[in-house]
Amino acid sequence: MNDSVAPEMDALVGALLHSCSEHVLETMFFAPVLDEVNPADSNGCIRVVSRLHFQGKPSGDFEVDADPGVARSLAAGFLGIDDGEVTDAQIDEVMAEFCNMTCGSALSSLGCVQYFCLEAPETSRPSEFTPAVTGVRRGFLLEGGTLSVCLRVDFDRS
Amino acid sequence: MALQILIVDDSPAMRSFIRRVVRLSGIEVDHYFEAGNGAEALEQLAANPVDAVFTDINMPVMDGEEFVRKMRENGSTQSIPVIVISTDATINRIHTMQALGAMGYLQKPFGPEQLRNELDRVLGVNHE
Repeated sequence: MNDSVAPEMDALVGALLHSCSEHVLETMFFAPVLDEVNPADSNGCIRVVSRLHFQGKPSGDFEVDADPGVARSLAAGFLGIDDGEVTDAQIDEVMAEFCNMTCGSALSSLGCVQYFCLEAPETSRPSEFTPAVTGVRRGFLLEGGTLSVCLRVDFDRS
Repeated sequence: MALQILIVDDSPAMRSFIRRVVRLSGIEVDHYFEAGNGAEALEQLAANPVDAVFTDINMPVMDGEEFVRKMRENGSTQSIPVIVISTDATINRIHTMQALGAMGYLQKPFGPEQLRNELDRVLGVNHE
């Protein structure tokens, strides 16, 4: 992508990421966004991370990372059960669903996407999180901690 | 009339969420059948009477496109209403699924009201 267009596209992607994440969190996880935070603050911390690659026109990557407590609360909200009843496997599965939904929602809202296919998300629990995806990143404060999302769209390779 | 619903998704968490949203929407359901992919769903349809199907697209073994195509090729299942539930709301994808025979389309995220409206629409239910 042309350098003069890239900042505008980053701003558009950032705005979409914000609105799609907020909509997904509130509609399907019953978790309102309380504030925006600096996503870099989670670097080096214990996080639950889910990431996926998408093929299509364009292709790219998406990554979500969350405080373990937030990931547990999201899983409980999604499944409609108490925090204490949630298993690690359910947390992994629900984080993967969040990753899938938010990425798909953002790509569907990005007018220039012709088609895409999301690969299965992979979830991990690094003790010192380092973002694997370099792209537009946004951080949110939820009840009990923070969650960040990052989207890289490879417009040039489409 | 209570409905018999088939939910097709490879994620048990997503199937659980759909059941929950159906319940919250106030739709009366007599029985939920579940399948983790299109092949399992066809087996469920062969063995059970179903009023409506909610299906994902990206699934292992048999995806949603192949599943809907096979449903429409079979005389005993071709008239059962199918609602696709997907994150992908690009025009290309929606047109593809409609051309295959899907009658409804719900983009994730969705809530009880959207689900009820779409189900009522494909079943021809009028609340006025």
